[in-house]
Amino acid sequence: MTSTTSSAGVTRYRDNPGWPQALGNALRIVLVLVAIMVAVQSFYVVQARPQDLITGFHGMVDIVSRAMPPDFSNFDAVLWPTLETVDIAIFGTLAGLVLSLPLAVLAAANVTPSRVLYYAARGIIGFTRAVPDLVWALLFVTAVGLGPFPGGLALAVHSIGMMGRLFAETIEHMDMAPIDALSIAGARRTQIFTHGVLPSVLPSLLGISLYRLDENIRSSLVLGFVGAGGIGFQLLTAMNLFQYQQVSVLLIVTFVIVLAAERLSAIARERLA
Amino acid sequence: MLEVRRLSLRYPNGKLALADFDIDVRPGELVVVLGGNGSGKTTLMRCITRTLQPTQGSVRVNGTDLARLDGERLRRARLDLALISQHASLVKRRSVLANVASGALGRHGGWYTALGGLPAAELRRARGYLAEVGLETLARQRAGTLSGGQAQRVAIARALAQRPRALLADEPVASLDPEAAEDIMKLLRRLAGEENLAVLCVLHQIDLAHAYADRVVGIRDGRMAFDLPRAELSHERMRGLYLREAA
Repeated sequence: MTSTTSSAGVTRYRDNPGWPQALGNALRIVLVLVAIMVAVQSFYVVQARPQDLITGFHGMVDIVSRAMPPDFSNFDAVLWPTLETVDIAIFGTLAGLVLSLPLAVLAAANVTPSRVLYYAARGIIGFTRAVPDLVWALLFVTAVGLGPFPGGLALAVHSIGMMGRLFAETIEHMDMAPIDALSIAGARRTQIFTHGVLPSVLPSLLGISLYRLDENIRSSLVLGFVGAGGIGFQLLTAMNLFQYQQVSVLLIVTFVIVLAAERLSAIARERLA
Repeated sequence: MLEVRRLSLRYPNGKLALADFDIDVRPGELVVVLGGNGSGKTTLMRCITRTLQPTQGSVRVNGTDLARLDGERLRRARLDLALISQHASLVKRRSVLANVASGALGRHGGWYTALGGLPAAELRRARGYLAEVGLETLARQRAGTLSGGQAQRVAIARALAQRPRALLADEPVASLDPEAAEDIMKLLRRLAGEENLAVLCVLHQIDLAHAYADRVVGIRDGRMAFDLPRAELSHERMRGLYLREAA
């Protein structure tokens, strides 16, 4: 019975070789319809009302006009928060790098010393990545108080997740032949890591770290909104006090920092490649 | 001295990849293993180095049976057994000198080498081994910039830095042009004699086997087809290993 059904199926396929193409076309149409439905439901869920944007435009113009011209008379007071913002990102990236590297080695399937450690490391990386840096900042503000330190801690913990995953993937995709050669030559595990794994993946790790630093500088601007220091905190204070000319100065500084970090990071990564 | 006795490997799916294989390679001797694709040559090498666990048999290097060891004891035993593979397997971003000296890492414990350092004595020796393979002028060059032939010479120098008793070479000339292949075989031939090494070399090139081997071992379907001194072996018999595969 089964063979009859099977042979009948084969015959149908041979008689009509175009049917897989028809099935493919039908599948494409279904996928397009699903994509349209996803787009439409997103408009519904966010309650998108473009007309409100048009009617409320004058409010935006009002704020922008009140922010002009930028008030640079108190520029000295912006310098320290600016340095704080950059240093929160540097601290967070460096601490994240130091903590994520050993975790990445444990979380890379090709070099991990045990499956238990592999899953434990993957779990830590997944958890620290899943919780947003803003939530980490709120937690650390509660623990250590207001200021740049909770911001740095928040970025460090979140960076463990972000960098740990990318580091682990880099190690997993590396050429294993030199590693096997060292292993067969009787090198110890730590020696294989420092003499084989690390030199092979170092440029990629540095590239990822620089990219993360760039991302962390953007994040550290926002962390100030929850009391974790830096320009963000100044920005929130100025907005609450309706000091819009001060707000525009802070936005200009923010723009310069983000642009500079992005360019410097890109140049450094190009040189490493 | 390398002694392989009744070495067998059966995969979990029941396929017999290697069956009762025996080879002896004495110090100073160069033995070539010939066989078609899928005949079991690389499996043999991997069982000897214990990157595959044989299901039966022994692999004695300097009297120690690697087939029965694990962990730290296996690591120590492997110091006597060096492997050169088809693609040199160098760390491309490190210098040629560092690659060569890293062959001796297993002989050094402690924090210095664990943190990425290489002992000064090993670096001095590495220069000597580079001179032996004719590449002392490239010591500071990055390994990734070398040609295939140069990289293979560096891999041989790294194997010498390990100070092994036996040297395995798994198709060391497969990706080289004929001239570079001749150079590598001459070097292996010379080192076998000068360093008193037991050299076991997998090749596909019958002419090279005929020119440089002391003995030739034929392998077919995971079993030994012959093990004869070069002088007693005709080209036709060696070709026979491949003809059957073509048929």
